[in-house]
Amino acid sequence: MKYFVTVNGAVREVSVIERLGQVEVSVDGKPFEMSYNEVDDLGQVIVLHAGKSYALSLEGDSNEVAATLAGHRYDVSLEDERERAAHAAERASGKVGGIVKAVMPGVVVDVLVTKGQTVAKGDSLLILSAMKMQNEIGAPTDGVVQEIHVSAGQTVSAGVKLVTLTPTATAATT
Amino acid sequence: MLQRILIANRGEIALRVIRSAREMGLETVAIYSDWDARALHTRMAHIAVPLGGTAPRDTYLRVDKVLAAAKQTGAQAIHPGYGFLSENAEFARAVRDAGLVWIGPPAEAIEAMGDKIRSRRRMKDADVPVVPGLVEPVDDAAAVKKHAAEIGYPVMIKASAGGGGKGLRICRDPSQIETAFRTASGEALASFGDGRVYLERYLDEPRHIEVQVMFDNHGNGVHYGVRECSIQRRHQKLIEECPSVVIDAKTRDAMGEVALRAGRAVGYQNAGTVEFLWSKGQFYFLEMNTRLQVEHPVTEMVTGIDLVREQIRVARGEKLGYGQDAVRWNGWAIEVRINAEDPKQKFIPSTGTIRNLRMPGGPFVRLDLGMYREMEVGVDYDPMLGKLIVWGATRQEAIERMCRALQEINVGGVRTSLPAALTVLEHPRFRSGDFDTHFLEGLDLSKGTTEFVDLVSAAAAVYRHHKARRRALATDSDGRGAWVARSRQEIAQHSARAGRAGGDA
Repeated sequence: MKYFVTVNGAVREVSVIERLGQVEVSVDGKPFEMSYNEVDDLGQVIVLHAGKSYALSLEGDSNEVAATLAGHRYDVSLEDERERAAHAAERASGKVGGIVKAVMPGVVVDVLVTKGQTVAKGDSLLILSAMKMQNEIGAPTDGVVQEIHVSAGQTVSAGVKLVTLTPTATAATT
Repeated sequence: MLQRILIANRGEIALRVIRSAREMGLETVAIYSDWDARALHTRMAHIAVPLGGTAPRDTYLRVDKVLAAAKQTGAQAIHPGYGFLSENAEFARAVRDAGLVWIGPPAEAIEAMGDKIRSRRRMKDADVPVVPGLVEPVDDAAAVKKHAAEIGYPVMIKASAGGGGKGLRICRDPSQIETAFRTASGEALASFGDGRVYLERYLDEPRHIEVQVMFDNHGNGVHYGVRECSIQRRHQKLIEECPSVVIDAKTRDAMGEVALRAGRAVGYQNAGTVEFLWSKGQFYFLEMNTRLQVEHPVTEMVTGIDLVREQIRVARGEKLGYGQDAVRWNGWAIEVRINAEDPKQKFIPSTGTIRNLRMPGGPFVRLDLGMYREMEVGVDYDPMLGKLIVWGATRQEAIERMCRALQEINVGGVRTSLPAALTVLEHPRFRSGDFDTHFLEGLDLSKGTTEFVDLVSAAAAVYRHHKARRRALATDSDGRGAWVARSRQEIAQHSARAGRAGGDA
């Protein structure tokens, strides 16, 4: 099985082949000799590689894995060939971008923009209160406010759509 | 005779108090919200009283419920910890009125220091240096603009009743005043019910230096030296150390004297911290925290003094029993806060269930933790899960030890601030001592290291491979699934995803 693995922004092609119960791994086409042992079912893993021992912690699902090694966190995303093709198609059709989502759970204190308003990158769109702090949510790009999905006083969870912006560049071409 | 103490708090600070109390032969009473029924403090106290409810305002902030719990259990004293009701003068008064011992400063001292505007005035009168700024609060943006021009930019807008980084905004020019005032005032109104703000000059290359003091009820007071807490973001501390690279013995003694003067000016008793801004050799009074602080362990590690024990001793009427000369400082201590936050995304809160925990050990490593396996980390309580503290004979030794401990620790299920702390401790500027309170916010923490990318990508791919294989087996038949079954929930997840991920097997 071939995977496209992104680790803290760096991309690697990893193939994993199982032969007679032994797993053979290669990274970017080169054989990667390793022994992989799960210590418990919570995510503690010991990897032996090139004579050295690495105490990793791995957790997550098939597509998003968080690895911790020597105190640093590696955010890993994995795609197989089919998933990679599907994601590439999504990106090409412009489904990604322009939507400002809540990155944390909280309460919308104030909406500072109105539908149709032109905003510059960094302009405050709304104020989100979370962990007793009030956070200004800024526009990720220049654009026009196409839709406001929330109203003041509303409780939102992480990942909820707040505002949809039509980026200025796109707006000009359409 | 004081025999039983109620701790009006949760998390690591509740445990911290329970531990000293137990060592003194005292019994402890924990109070807990519905979410904390399994929490460590609930388990470790002699007696635990449910408060009923979940949100802080229905539980740990309810004076009536806390006092009822004390009455019900026969507790004779209340330790408030930090946060929650610890700096609530009315609570302190209510505790006294109920005939209980309050393990903290007098209500009058809390009031005098709690209002930042009044405390500035008091400190000026007591010859304690303060940062140039307003002594009267203002409550509208136009007034803020007018006064800011007089004080000179950059200015800091501070909530009159603020604390813990809430209600603070910096403005570099007049155009920023409007929004800054609205958010600062709004935060203060939401958190403290008081939307007034005051202004002060924002100092360049400021360092946060604070002095730990302790007064008994007989007029005796000592200071336990300085802590440096300049590694902070959004005015919330991340790494603290004792002592500080910029404070020599002479300055420490001078600051200690000023801190004691500040405390005496308000009739202080028990433990307190006088916070100073230090800029280019000058120090200015910032505020006094009228409670035990999160970072108190670094002082304990260097002085060898158990501050909670001292708090309890003086609260029950004992004399300190020693003078300033008896306080000695040995070596260096560093504390790292373990917050459920994502440093890659400007420390936004992270939520989840803690599963995968691996704790560091070894010489001179101390863990003060509130977290435990299966703990659900939500947004209703403080994101701090605990603290990691180390001691070393020198600063360098303490830094190396902390790096080592940070490489050992793992907190799974949520994102934590720990990788950011490690990045700071490995940074040449931190190591050389050349940093100020802006240092952490100036670091780009968004990307993360790429040191072991090949290894991590290979391990993650094998992890997915094994997961997919187990999933295929688990959904094959119930019998064969038994050896890979983790939990019912995971099997349910596997079943739900089986269609999509079938190609992996």
